[in-house]
Amino acid sequence: MSFEIRKVAVIGAGVMGAGIAAHVANAGVEVLLLDIVPEGAANRNAVAEKAVEKLLKADPAPFMSKAAAKLVKPGNIEDNLADIADCDLIIEAIIERLDLKQALYAKIEAARRPGSAVSSNTSTIPLADLTAGLPESFRRDFLITHFFNPPRYMRLLEIVSGPETNADTVAAVTRFADVKLGKTVVRAKDTPGFIANRLGTYWLQLAVGEAFALGMKVEDADAVMGRPFGFPKTGVFGLIDLVGLDLMPHVQGSLKRALPAADPFHATLRDEPLIEKMISTGYTGRKGKGGFYRLNREGGQKLKEAIDLSTGAYRPQAKAQVAELEDGGGRDLFALLSAPGEGGRYARAVMVRTLAYAARLVPEAADDIVSIDDAMRLGYNWKSGPFELIDKIGAARLIELLKADGEEVPPVLALAADKPFYRVENGQRQYLTLDGTYHDIVRPEGVVLLADIKLKSQPLAKNGSAALWDIGDGVVCLEFTSKSNSLDEGIITMLAKALKLVKDKYKALVIYNEGSNFSVGANLGLALFACNIGAFGEVEKLVATGQKTYQDVKYAPFPVVAAPSGLALGGGCEILLHVGAVQAHAESYIGLVECGVGVLPAWGGCTAMLERWAADPKFPKGPMPAPSKVFETVSTATVAKSAAEAKELKFLREGDGITMNRDRLLADAKAKALAMVEGYAPPKPVQFFLPGPSGKAAMDMAVEGFAKRGLATRHDKVVSAALAEVLTGGDADHIAPVPAARVLELERDGFMKLIRTTATLDRIEHVLETGRPLRN
Amino acid sequence: MQVYTPPLRDMRFVLHELHGSEELSTLKGLEELSPDLIDAVLEEAGKFVTEVLAPLNQSGDLEGCTYENGVVRTPKGFKEAYTAFREGGWNGIACDPKYGGQGLPASVNKLVEEMLCSGNLAFGICPGLTHGAYQALKAYASDELKDRFLPKMVDGVWSGSMCLTEPQCGTDLGLVRTKAEPQADGSYKITGNKIFISAGEQDMTENIVHLVLARLPDAPKGIKGISLFLVPKFLPKEDGSVGPRNGVLCTGIEHKMGIHGSSTCQMSFDEATGWLVGEPHKGMRAMFAMMNSERLSVGTQGLGLGEAAYQSAVAYAKERLQGRALSGAKHPDKPADPIIVHPDVRRTLMTMRAYNEGCRALAGWVARALDLMERAEDPEERKRAEDFTALMTPIVKALFTDLGFEATSMGMQVYGGHGYIRDHGMEQYVRDARIAMIYEGTNGVQALDLVGRKLPAHMGRYLRSFFHPVLNYMDAKLDDENLGPLITPLSKAFGALQLATAHIAEKGLKDPEEAGAAATEYLRLFGLVALGYMWVRMAEVAYEKRVSNPNDAAFYDAKIVTARFFMEKLLPDVAALWGSIKAGKGAMMALDEAMF
Repeated sequence: MSFEIRKVAVIGAGVMGAGIAAHVANAGVEVLLLDIVPEGAANRNAVAEKAVEKLLKADPAPFMSKAAAKLVKPGNIEDNLADIADCDLIIEAIIERLDLKQALYAKIEAARRPGSAVSSNTSTIPLADLTAGLPESFRRDFLITHFFNPPRYMRLLEIVSGPETNADTVAAVTRFADVKLGKTVVRAKDTPGFIANRLGTYWLQLAVGEAFALGMKVEDADAVMGRPFGFPKTGVFGLIDLVGLDLMPHVQGSLKRALPAADPFHATLRDEPLIEKMISTGYTGRKGKGGFYRLNREGGQKLKEAIDLSTGAYRPQAKAQVAELEDGGGRDLFALLSAPGEGGRYARAVMVRTLAYAARLVPEAADDIVSIDDAMRLGYNWKSGPFELIDKIGAARLIELLKADGEEVPPVLALAADKPFYRVENGQRQYLTLDGTYHDIVRPEGVVLLADIKLKSQPLAKNGSAALWDIGDGVVCLEFTSKSNSLDEGIITMLAKALKLVKDKYKALVIYNEGSNFSVGANLGLALFACNIGAFGEVEKLVATGQKTYQDVKYAPFPVVAAPSGLALGGGCEILLHVGAVQAHAESYIGLVECGVGVLPAWGGCTAMLERWAADPKFPKGPMPAPSKVFETVSTATVAKSAAEAKELKFLREGDGITMNRDRLLADAKAKALAMVEGYAPPKPVQFFLPGPSGKAAMDMAVEGFAKRGLATRHDKVVSAALAEVLTGGDADHIAPVPAARVLELERDGFMKLIRTTATLDRIEHVLETGRPLRN
Repeated sequence: MQVYTPPLRDMRFVLHELHGSEELSTLKGLEELSPDLIDAVLEEAGKFVTEVLAPLNQSGDLEGCTYENGVVRTPKGFKEAYTAFREGGWNGIACDPKYGGQGLPASVNKLVEEMLCSGNLAFGICPGLTHGAYQALKAYASDELKDRFLPKMVDGVWSGSMCLTEPQCGTDLGLVRTKAEPQADGSYKITGNKIFISAGEQDMTENIVHLVLARLPDAPKGIKGISLFLVPKFLPKEDGSVGPRNGVLCTGIEHKMGIHGSSTCQMSFDEATGWLVGEPHKGMRAMFAMMNSERLSVGTQGLGLGEAAYQSAVAYAKERLQGRALSGAKHPDKPADPIIVHPDVRRTLMTMRAYNEGCRALAGWVARALDLMERAEDPEERKRAEDFTALMTPIVKALFTDLGFEATSMGMQVYGGHGYIRDHGMEQYVRDARIAMIYEGTNGVQALDLVGRKLPAHMGRYLRSFFHPVLNYMDAKLDDENLGPLITPLSKAFGALQLATAHIAEKGLKDPEEAGAAATEYLRLFGLVALGYMWVRMAEVAYEKRVSNPNDAAFYDAKIVTARFFMEKLLPDVAALWGSIKAGKGAMMALDEAMF
């Protein structure tokens, strides 16, 4: 490795540039954000400073923490260009104009430190054009880093290097993007639109055009181009509304200009007067007056409407009616593509050609099929990439459909006529290469996926909700496998089993899974059903067993490391509060949300939070501050919006680790666990000094105040009072110590009291059925 | 012989003493309702049944309905009885006063219905259907249709029918083929054939209002493409009188096992004029408004026949002299003891009695929920009542008709050979009772409705409306000196019901066949626990009342003894049912289809 990237400059503080800068800051790396000096401005940094202000207000938040925002140093290219001499990576993200970019590069070349990397975030201009006429020293250090919007949340980064680009430079930037920024790097060739946008635009353009041609309802088109293929449920029209209708012509225009005449892309282009009219009249999507869908607020109403593609008039949005998708249809993709109805014809018209186009992109735009699949999964949020989709349909069947439509069969597709694009051989996932042989899918160094381990081995133990895996070096991994990884009796049982197994035969336990969420909390459906049939004894037992098992986790004689990613809520958060250490994915959303459904954390969550705040040396002493702080966080069901924010709320501790790249989480967690093995000692049980009834009265008063202002509902008061009772230690007297075991008992009592109320059962039912909280 | 005295004392017990009828007068539209008024209505109804309807029961069965050239004649005396029924105001007692009804609550109406079923089930079917059609129209029809048709139907001068079944579709109404073509004037032309239409044609009313399920031309296939239409036999004129004949014809009637006094018609609709009821393609929703009410009424049929069979069996058991009591002669003055001295005859009679009185109490609870659902001020209370009614509808329908049939069979058994021959009328009860297990959704379908729809709905919220009151009651009464011995078996049975419920919810989620395999036994188990709860509550009232009202001590003592009998001799079935449920679908589904 020639160098490490410690400081970054981003030039161009538009949406992408600012977003990239914010995300570099999220990685804990200092970043200069430079833009032009506005004419006649008193504040010469106004553009970049405004961009940072906007970042701080944006939703979803580009920054993971307030601390990260401080790492962005706004400036301007006239006064501060010299500062890029300190930067190891300079990212250009200005307007897509070659002349301006090249002029800037000349200035960069003069100011930068030799050997620093320079990259462009261009999405349309070929690297060869960008570097034309620039000195060799520049060309050697130059590459394209194509981020996707929004940079914090989209995991794809396309990297394009030129023939002269220094391999070490590419390696250093790749490593930085992977480890520090958490991106999955896909190497693309220097072809127009690279991979994701080239194929994505083709797909969108075709899908829009065919919907017009078939005279479809946008709802029906989106229903077909959504769930059945594993595409986001917005479908195409919903997606275009989201990105902006006005953006489409730009991307299309540049691809149209850059792609050779023979490219099938051109056949998808057609003028839709309706779309032109929508753009020119400000109907550019969600950011404009509306798009293919809109929320009509005329006359104080809130009416969801959709546009009629043939008349251009808005009408009330209807539920999609696609015969092919009814009664569980749409799961068999080949059946869908072959169905004679409108839905089938649409699916076939769009997807047969889109998948064939994907096949054409190898080797034109990428060396292998894996890059294409990665690009579409991570850049367009497809659940499966195009080649994985072809495997589902069957390449031979796709070829039949293509031939029947009179289309050309791309060589890569022909190659797979009698075999799949992906296979598993001896527990190893492999992909089909251009010479017709299979190659192993090789993970970057430091990437360990449970999915790979599972292909190679048998679980140590398994039930309907969880499994235990030997992940090597004496470490066991507990994986949740229940729906949304909700916690139930099966998981608690498996957790107890894991504790025993590791104690007897292993060194450490890692709690980790590869679901989109670590855990959404306890299985409320089961709890609600049990309560509805009056099986309160069972519920009480589950509360007690869970609490006991979490205590056993806490006092386990070996390190237990939890590695969350995505949501870790309720009982899922409480696990994190009981393990020896956490290694969290940066995109972890952690919180004790029990009060939202009318109960309180009773698997030790209240007790653990009290312990954390009481132990903080920087926090005021005395019986009241810690309970108040926990009350504030828990009664409002506050969820941290990142791992960094979770530290501020003490759902994570200072020593807990954060991993930026999701794929590196398991390896990092395992390393953390192993590092703790030597001389590991579990914590000692604590006792508290709690304020008792007088403290509870204060909290009740505060809630009463909220209720008077309409911020707390009738049942909020009941729930908060029960929580206050627990946090203040029940009948505690602030001079007599309260053992943790007593607070745990109060948790259980409070929980059982609340779950016997109809209002709590109503809340649980409402959340389960609508996904939204009930304010009763 | 058929013996029937309306069980007015027990009805008053259920309505006033067990379920507290004073609550009724706090509900909207029932402010004027007093216990005295209720008692007077019940007494009059009982009189009408015993004097007018019961005497026609056996003759109507023997004669049956006859069909000739599209005309159906009901048995002799039915038409006159119907006129008396209508003129007495009985047809509309539970209907909205706005349309000429008496506005009495379901709590009272269900008891009147029970008497009707006991006295003459076949006769009661026609007005029962009119009431069902009235409810569907009231809930879903346009104001114009309601104003035109409801007053006549409430009065009874026009009757109603429900036309669902077709030759190719019974339980699966998604297969309905009858067509509805929209007309320029907003009406529809209905064309198709329906079968098994009770009271589809008869000679007691001047017009018949058919509610017909049919498909519109643009209907989605299956159950989501069914619409409901009102199709009268005669098109009414502007002034409300009967106009020209509509394209509806009865093409024949069925020859069947029982309810001979009620016609079961094949109906042909040939471009008949009809009007849409409710929204297009949403016919099932409107139909269910009618069907749910009908299902509860069919449950009442089971109870009514069970009661008639019990009374007839008791009369015979007391007068039939055969053999001597096992403990020695009880009536040495007579040539033999009456057979009621025998334990097995006792067992039979006690079983019938315990089921009947238990079902009457449970019907009273459900009827109260119907009233609350319609009239309570508090929306939460209405919701709870709706949940409870939804949950209990399949149980009342299937449990009451199963037990009703068992009771008529037991009644026949008490008569021995004399029950099997026609003269005593006991075999008629058996035949009449049998249909109730089949129509309005077979009892198997009721059980599926319970486990497949009602149990999982809103994560078990419907269940709460039953489980929580029972649980709270048991908690409160556990230490009661009198009730303790009854609470113990109830709480055991309740535990089995909880386990079975959780078991089915869990298994059924993974494998719907498991839920299907357990359904019938689960419904019976649930029903027995519900009856058990009713019996403990009845015993509680009886223990109190035998002190406060010593004149009636014999009645209350009988209640307490019957409660004991139920808890000791009938409720234990729960254990066997739970055992069978636990065993799952294995052996039931294992045999290859070809081996049957």
